[in-house]
Amino acid sequence: MPRIPEPLRRLTRGLAVPVGSVLFAFVVGGLIVAGTGGDPVVAYQGLVCGGLGILCSGGENSALQISNTIIFVTPLLMAGVAVALPFRAGLFNIGAEGQYLAGAVACTAIGVKFSTLPAPILLPMVLLGGMAAGAFWAGIAGVLKATTGAHEVVTTIMLNYVAQWLVRYLIIGGPLQLQGGFSVSSPIGPGAQLATILPNDNHRILFGLPSSVYRIHVGLFIALAAVAVFAFLLWRTPLGYEIRAVGQSQRAARYAGVSVRRTIIVTMLIAGAFAGLAGAVQIAGVDHNLTDIYFSDTTGFDAIAVALLGLGSGVGIVLASILFGALHAGGSVMQADAGISSSLVLVLQALILFSIGANFLSAIKVRLPAIGRSPSTPPAAIAAAATATEATGAPPEKDTS
Amino acid sequence: MTVIGDILRLLTTADLWQAALAASVLLLLPALGGVISERSGVVNIAMEGMMLTGAFFGVVADLAWQNVWLATLVAIVAGGAMALIHAVVSIRFRADQIVSGIAINIFAAGMTVFLVRRIYGVQDIGHVGPSELLPNLSIPVLDQIPFVGQVFFQQNVVVYIALFLLVLVQVVLFRTRLGLRIRAVGEHPHAADTAGINVYWIRYGAVITSGLLSGLAGAFLAIGISNTFVPNMTDGRGYIALAAMIFGKWTPLGAFLACLIFGLGEAIYANNSTIHVSQYLLSMLPYILVLVVLTGVIGRSNPPAADGIPYVPGAE
Repeated sequence: MPRIPEPLRRLTRGLAVPVGSVLFAFVVGGLIVAGTGGDPVVAYQGLVCGGLGILCSGGENSALQISNTIIFVTPLLMAGVAVALPFRAGLFNIGAEGQYLAGAVACTAIGVKFSTLPAPILLPMVLLGGMAAGAFWAGIAGVLKATTGAHEVVTTIMLNYVAQWLVRYLIIGGPLQLQGGFSVSSPIGPGAQLATILPNDNHRILFGLPSSVYRIHVGLFIALAAVAVFAFLLWRTPLGYEIRAVGQSQRAARYAGVSVRRTIIVTMLIAGAFAGLAGAVQIAGVDHNLTDIYFSDTTGFDAIAVALLGLGSGVGIVLASILFGALHAGGSVMQADAGISSSLVLVLQALILFSIGANFLSAIKVRLPAIGRSPSTPPAAIAAAATATEATGAPPEKDTS
Repeated sequence: MTVIGDILRLLTTADLWQAALAASVLLLLPALGGVISERSGVVNIAMEGMMLTGAFFGVVADLAWQNVWLATLVAIVAGGAMALIHAVVSIRFRADQIVSGIAINIFAAGMTVFLVRRIYGVQDIGHVGPSELLPNLSIPVLDQIPFVGQVFFQQNVVVYIALFLLVLVQVVLFRTRLGLRIRAVGEHPHAADTAGINVYWIRYGAVITSGLLSGLAGAFLAIGISNTFVPNMTDGRGYIALAAMIFGKWTPLGAFLACLIFGLGEAIYANNSTIHVSQYLLSMLPYILVLVVLTGVIGRSNPPAADGIPYVPGAE
């Protein structure tokens, strides 16, 4: 047998669990469709068409489908980072949704209030404002965790709901509501809007459609930069080292002179800033105002699946974001072409989470080398360990430093 | 001062307390489920999804068979089935219980809407007739007691069941051998195992019970208070129940007190004519209250020691 080079073998090992989980989800999802009288092949064809622009049966435009997917991928990249970073510190941030909404609210509020300012001033204002709002939202959970030991899962759940109701209040009878409109805010000023990548021109035909229909915007580059910053921060900076040290063992980190409390708070602040940026970019790049679609937004919850499936690595987050972005974009085509509710996408997402979380593959004795011992511990295990050690609700011991 | 005067006047009316009790029971059932599950050491943030599943299958069964009791049973079993998934994934496969809980909630939200379309197509799911809803029941004689009669003895049948279950769970958890075992498993599973308690069975039982209770709450919501299924109709109530559980320091009576506070707030808002605060701002209150409690201002609220830790025999 030829010897497989070590890096390749590690790659295969690393990919086995996420790829297996996705396959598991699609198989079970297919069974669910077939079991309820649908045709899984037609359903998945619709998903692939809507997500990747290939195998289309309804005459869909491939370029449009791909650009729709990119629209979904963009916020997922940043929100995925917002979940993945705390994972490395042993914290489970399920509040990315609330932080995302906080960012969207701040961006809208600033973009409306100062709508006459020029882009060089206003654009940084709305993006930084979104980051600050997200950081604040996550910071509440971070400070509570560091000072009273309140579990971040519980506090971020509560903060998610506060944010969701806040959005409803603001645009239904609240201060951000558009005059004479319902469930919609005033639009942000033109200076607060992110430029589209393709010319916003109704007359120029690109890939068979007017180029203005492709809404992809420069926020994509911001998102990719955010992932790069995440990877750099985690592996190339002292703070990243401290975050990983706290995630591995709070006690060991403390003996190494790391301030556990400070690291927890800083990690949550940075994570919240990423999620807040995602919300701000979504407003500035796509929607340009706060609307009722934010009531049922799930970006921050999808981000949990992104971070888990991406095993908390930069490349993994990009790949997982593309998968979930494609699924979301594909759902509507599946519903239109195959008559299968786009909610199947949520079912698939839940199945992926079950599978990743429970590691069914290793449990059914498919011989997989224990990934837990490889240099990159999968975040699910970290999260489990974190819950295990933190469940007592005791605050982190006082730092000696 | 008219606002305070109005609230004080409301507080003296039996109507208000009657509505508050009904509203709090809807939260109490999943909260009791949460208490039982977490006391046995399994973190449960999935009451929302279990409740939603119960609501959906309750309506489906009621529309199909025109029998509210059968429908309620189906709702309870459906909630229990979702809990069984959570139990298998987090006890047998030792998955992260929070990941599993999130997955349950997403699964329920997706699956119910998916099935609405498979079963009913694009048309409306339909409404359950008034005779096939969980009935209100007045207890003869007792309901004639002034004030108390209207509050406690002119209620929906689920309210009586829930109050009975409240007492039952409180007594079982703290006054019986079974309760001692559940708490032992949640505090120190290795010691419990050594003492001959089957940790797995206790945890399976506790988690499934939480699903049964949440399923009943779903039925109360969909075929008691409402008469149809609407996507995501639980609207965070499972999470408010979670909040009530923490607020109540993982005890049934404490959770009930929290539910009563939340329910009272809801009832005051619905019945008053002088408070002009947005209902959306008011909806934040339960969540903010829990955050305040967690700051430790009103005393600490700690979960059971082994809450959230999968049990691995001999691995201490």
